Amino acid sequence: MPNPMLSIRSLDVAYGGLRALRSVSLEVGQGQLVTVVGANGAGKTTLFKTISGTVAPLAGEITYDGRNLLAVPSAERAQLGIAHVPEGRQVFASMTVMENLEMGAYTRNGRARRSELMPAILELFPVLADRRNQLAGTLSGGEQQMLAIGRGLASAPRLLMLDEPSMGLAPTIVDDIFERIKQVHRQHGLTVLLVEQRATEALEACDRGYVLETGRVVLEGPRDTLMSDARVRRAYLGM
Amino acid sequence: MAPPRASLHRSYLAIGAFAAGYLVVGVLVRNSYYQQIMTLVLLWAAMGLSWNMLSGYSGLISFGHAAFFGLGGYTMTIAFVKFGLTPWLGIPLGMAVGVLAGIVIGITTFRLRGHYFALSMLAYPLAMLFVFEWLGYQEVTLPMMRTAPALYAQFADQRIYMALAMVLAVACMVVSLHVERSRFGLSLLAIKQNEPAAEAAGIDTLSWKMRAIMLSAAMAAAAGGLYAVVLLVVTPQSMFGVATSAQALIVALFGGVGVYWGPVIGAAVLVPLAETLHAELGHIIPGIQGVVYGLAIIGIILLASDGIYWRIHDRWVPRRRTEPDAAAPLGAPAPAAAAAASAVPAAAARPVAAGPALLKLDGVVRAFGGLKAVDGVSLTVAEGAIHGVIGPNGAGKTTLFNVINGFLPPDAGSIRFAGAEIAGLRPHGVCRRGIGRTFQVARAFPRMTVLENVMVGAYVGASTDAEATELALTALARVGMERDALSVADGLTNNQLRRMELARALAPSPRLLLLDETLAGLGHEELEELLRIIRQVNASGVTVVIIEHTMHAMVKLADTFSVLDHGRLIAEGPPAEVVRDPAVIEAYLGKKWMAHAKPDAQHPVA
Amino acid sequence: MTDWQWLLIDVLQALAAGLLVGGTYGLMCVGLGIIFGVMRVVNFAQGDFMMLGMYVAYYLVTGFGVLAFLGPYAAPIVGAALAGPVVFVIGTLLHRTLIARVTGARVVSAEAEGHYAQIILTLGVALVLANGGLILFGSQPVSVQNPLSRESWEIGLVLFNQARTVSFAIAVACALGLYLFLTRTSLGRALRAAADNPIAAAYVGVDVDRAHRLAFGLGVGITAVAGGLIAGTQSFQPYIGFDFVITMYAGVVLGGMGSILGAFWGGLTIGLVQQMSTLVLPYQLQNTAIFVVFLLIIFFRPQGMFGRVWERT
Repeated sequence: MPNPMLSIRSLDVAYGGLRALRSVSLEVGQGQLVTVVGANGAGKTTLFKTISGTVAPLAGEITYDGRNLLAVPSAERAQLGIAHVPEGRQVFASMTVMENLEMGAYTRNGRARRSELMPAILELFPVLADRRNQLAGTLSGGEQQMLAIGRGLASAPRLLMLDEPSMGLAPTIVDDIFERIKQVHRQHGLTVLLVEQRATEALEACDRGYVLETGRVVLEGPRDTLMSDARVRRAYLGM
Repeated sequence: MAPPRASLHRSYLAIGAFAAGYLVVGVLVRNSYYQQIMTLVLLWAAMGLSWNMLSGYSGLISFGHAAFFGLGGYTMTIAFVKFGLTPWLGIPLGMAVGVLAGIVIGITTFRLRGHYFALSMLAYPLAMLFVFEWLGYQEVTLPMMRTAPALYAQFADQRIYMALAMVLAVACMVVSLHVERSRFGLSLLAIKQNEPAAEAAGIDTLSWKMRAIMLSAAMAAAAGGLYAVVLLVVTPQSMFGVATSAQALIVALFGGVGVYWGPVIGAAVLVPLAETLHAELGHIIPGIQGVVYGLAIIGIILLASDGIYWRIHDRWVPRRRTEPDAAAPLGAPAPAAAAAASAVPAAAARPVAAGPALLKLDGVVRAFGGLKAVDGVSLTVAEGAIHGVIGPNGAGKTTLFNVINGFLPPDAGSIRFAGAEIAGLRPHGVCRRGIGRTFQVARAFPRMTVLENVMVGAYVGASTDAEATELALTALARVGMERDALSVADGLTNNQLRRMELARALAPSPRLLLLDETLAGLGHEELEELLRIIRQVNASGVTVVIIEHTMHAMVKLADTFSVLDHGRLIAEGPPAEVVRDPAVIEAYLGKKWMAHAKPDAQHPVA
Repeated sequence: MTDWQWLLIDVLQALAAGLLVGGTYGLMCVGLGIIFGVMRVVNFAQGDFMMLGMYVAYYLVTGFGVLAFLGPYAAPIVGAALAGPVVFVIGTLLHRTLIARVTGARVVSAEAEGHYAQIILTLGVALVLANGGLILFGSQPVSVQNPLSRESWEIGLVLFNQARTVSFAIAVACALGLYLFLTRTSLGRALRAAADNPIAAAYVGVDVDRAHRLAFGLGVGITAVAGGLIAGTQSFQPYIGFDFVITMYAGVVLGGMGSILGAFWGGLTIGLVQQMSTLVLPYQLQNTAIFVVFLLIIFFRPQGMFGRVWERT
């Protein structure tokens, strides 16, 4: 793929004393929605943490917009336009919905485009507008997930990364969330990297996908190739 | 731990040499001020040893040891001043009062975690300080007994006090020495490293903590009583003040935490330094003592956080490196046969175990707030089986283990093991019944040998240290690490750590083993090795229940699966069946997966 | 006047005194609350930073008389206010050189003791500060000359010591100012975010290490201002910090560890408890009452009034 926005090559990461990722390579092209699926323990979250800088790799390269991302300190990666919506929502529970969104706009880009982004986010997630002054800790799981995504969008990102947005949510709410993600992707041409355990929804939404199993990429390809491929099932269930 | 006799004798010799040498120097010193400093060194060594006994060994950092010190000092003083009781009896009385305080404080404060524990411990002596000030004991001077002063522990020659202090210090050292080398010390260390794991290994953590605080309080109270006898003046500040608690802590941390020489080194360095500086410069620079202690502890925390003793020990004492894993540990089949055996899926290589039910869960429920993490799970584990518990993330697997293991009581339902109900037992009780458990994060005691690490688990099944050693060695043989028994655990590879953890769980010869993600993140060869070990363990009669995410390993290992999703059991049966069950596929991959399912020409024949 | 009426006056007086004292205590606790809320550090030296603030105010107003030109009424106030920035600078310096080495995201501890390294380090700092203060300032108790400390306003039959009333007003104003900073400014929000969820804060681009340093400096600075205010109403000496450690923690724990503003209410309540306890207890035991309350909270409601139950993982 010529000039991908994000390019990862031969990434080797150890985390918690374990070899979490082995020689992982993947690419995210501008404007694409790329999905990485895999069972728990496959290394998905470690991949995320390496991109955001929480974890340092043993070997490999990460290139973002042509620059070496690994040379950028993790506190600055947000300023480069990478929004990270973490696993488990991680909202600021003691702050209100609006304050959470304001925190999303902490980056330079976010501050600059605040006046156009905030209304757009509230329109995308009307329930957040309804609850704007409520403490984030009192929201339901699905609402918190929407808040986390909204917070990510508030930073005016070029790359939106989502780490297991379905975790802990009921299936109908998961459908709703995925709909919004697809909507954002379609309407604004936002580049999305989606990491998920629930393969079906994630693969349905994507343009291209990767399947991780015990730290390795075992399958990759466009959406239609991956959907319902038995090898995906084997990656999750072992046989 | 049963070290060879020579080693214990060597420690006694060292202590004796230290005591003799010290007293010789003391006798030779003419200046009574220096003699007093030497006495104070020994008293603070005893106080540091007392702090070590509770906080150094168990990790429960106490900022309030002055409470026991002060109670000991004031009991003796009040008994003397008000009732004419000689300090020879007053000090033991003070020790008894200290122990009582230790019990009360222990029962109330041990259930507090982390910072709350530290802050409460800080509060106790300060509260006592205010009370004693209010009671009018601003400053109490011990009366001089002109007739028969020796009967009241009053001596003209300071060196006799030094000898008394030496007796106390040596007594504390010997007690500490024995604690360190016994299951007492090992249990405290286990609590310090990883309290839940210690509980699961059969250690009654509350009981050991209570014993530690009682012993610690007795030592501190004795030190307080003797301190009052030596100085002849008692004030609430000097007995209960923060500086006293701080000094006990600093002396132990500076010299070496968790080892009986530590407080002695700390006292021997810091007390003379502080006292001499105070004597020389105290009139120009008041408070120099506090600065010395403050700088000492800042320096140690930043530079050598375990204390001087360990810094020297780690540098000079050579450490036996563990050997890289050998291909064929003792008792294993020949490598070729082993490789062949592990390549075939488990289902074909072994008969399906169909023993009687060993573990039976019936309608177990466990909720957190409104969320049911385990929602009416009933399952049966047959004796002799390898039973896998699988399910997507958040399905409730670890909660289920924690309920079986005793960390969480079930809200409803029963758990029967070998016919007897175990729901509601604490983890060490569950362990005693014969259920062992490994944890996801395997933590070794880095400075102890592999054998000692495993003995922690062995104690629950052994009444003597020798028995525990036996059991530990047997367990190590079962995982193929008996040659590493005497190597220091620091520097083990990940694989070796897991096997050691397995050995610890196996040491008391459990009937059932709960394995919590033992296979996570291993490379191919390491995985095969561990699978082989688990199969061997199972073949020798241990029923295994295992939670895992690495499915391609699990399908080879387990006889049957129980699949959980959202706290409920959704499927059960042999791996080949379960993995094709639509409900299971849906749980893992999403409900629309089956709708898109393409014919699968490649799935392996079971 | 009947006995009941005298009793009522006594109660009202105790309430008034408690309120006034409580305001300053509240500000003191807020400083600790910031440090604990953002950094999760138990700072033993907090009382000693307060002591530094007291001496800064003293030297500015009385000792060196730098602020004498402001007149005897304004000088103590300005002195107390200036104590804040001075101690802020000292605090951030100390954080950068010492505290940061044992706290923060970078620290990974293998031994269980590592968890306590920061408490013990701050204990060391407390000892050095208190005794260093003894060396620098001498052991003679001093106080900031404040003509208002001898005057009282009278409402009904209840006396309001003027110095304490002014201190109360300033303390409340400071707390209010802090509240506005934390809720209305971007930097303040960033601090709250770092306190609430450091992981997520890092993800949205907050420099958590810098936030910690700011929080430490701000925390000790605010407590120093409270100290400067107290310095005008009572005498003190370099060891006074230790006297206040438990009071401060009682307030923070009562308000809820982790709730920066809850700490103010906690401190206020502690002040009330202290003064009200003199109605039933002898004067010397007023601090014991605080201890008892402190222990009761820890045992029965560790999350305090406004905090969430948290566990350090």
